[in-house]
Amino acid sequence: MAVCVHLIVPSDLNMFAGMLLGGFIGMVLMLFMMLVLMPFFGAFEVMIPLHLNGMLIGMGSGMLSTLPSLAWEQIILGGAVVGFFVSLYIYFANQSLIQS
Amino acid sequence: MKSKKQSYDRVAKVFDFLRGGDMLRWDSHQKSLFKNLKGKVLYVGTGTGLETVNFPPNLNVTAIDLSYVMLERSKERVEKYSGTMNRCQMDAQTTAFRDNSFDTVVTVCVLCTVKNPINCLKEIKRVLKPEGRLIMFEHVLSKNPLFALVLKTMSNFTEKLEGTFLDRDTVKNAEQAGFELVSHKNVYLDIVKALVAKPGR
Repeated sequence: MAVCVHLIVPSDLNMFAGMLLGGFIGMVLMLFMMLVLMPFFGAFEVMIPLHLNGMLIGMGSGMLSTLPSLAWEQIILGGAVVGFFVSLYIYFANQSLIQS
Repeated sequence: MKSKKQSYDRVAKVFDFLRGGDMLRWDSHQKSLFKNLKGKVLYVGTGTGLETVNFPPNLNVTAIDLSYVMLERSKERVEKYSGTMNRCQMDAQTTAFRDNSFDTVVTVCVLCTVKNPINCLKEIKRVLKPEGRLIMFEHVLSKNPLFALVLKTMSNFTEKLEGTFLDRDTVKNAEQAGFELVSHKNVYLDIVKALVAKPGR
């Protein structure tokens, strides 16, 4: 996700536009992934994590891609960290809600 | 109305494929919820009959759906069911049944799809006996703003693709239609819910 956004977002874009474009790219990419994964893992179980990750990783990576000093490995790491925390948040939110 | 029916007919061809993942995840939750099915049962929005495998055995079920193509595809599952299951092509908002005809009404992802969910619930209340139960396995809009944002965004696509709304408050709609909630269980986040309701006084 972060790599795709990094490859698409031009580095000479301003940070805000990079964030918006990254978020949009992330959500479009996740739409395709959702169509592939949904028949195997369930619509909502796929939709919520994929779209939150797509939007947030896309926005973060889009923003970071406008910084010329950052290497693409750092952008991937940033995406992975965001993805990890989003997944953790959804997991604990689900545990809490299904037990309530 | 015509476009809704056409939309269901079109989706029928890929319905089992799209819902395959959901059925794997929801299987045990549905079996547990469907233990509440008793007496004469109305199965609203049968679709291709995916949920019949989770029904308790030997029930007397009337299964309705707006789409003839969906009902045709449910044939094999309906025939395999151990109880009696009669299929009718009917709009859930204007059924042809008499008042107080059923002991239990069951809906699975129907109230997210019908054109007017409150009218549909009022119709269900009409055909349900006063001491009967409405069993709902439905997805609703989350109260969490992050999850709600995703659902509202995706609802624009799903509405056009398969006529499903992801942003409906089915619990509130049921109460507005005159039902009282008896039990309420979250199956996935606060989006997929197993609900039991009874007609209010």
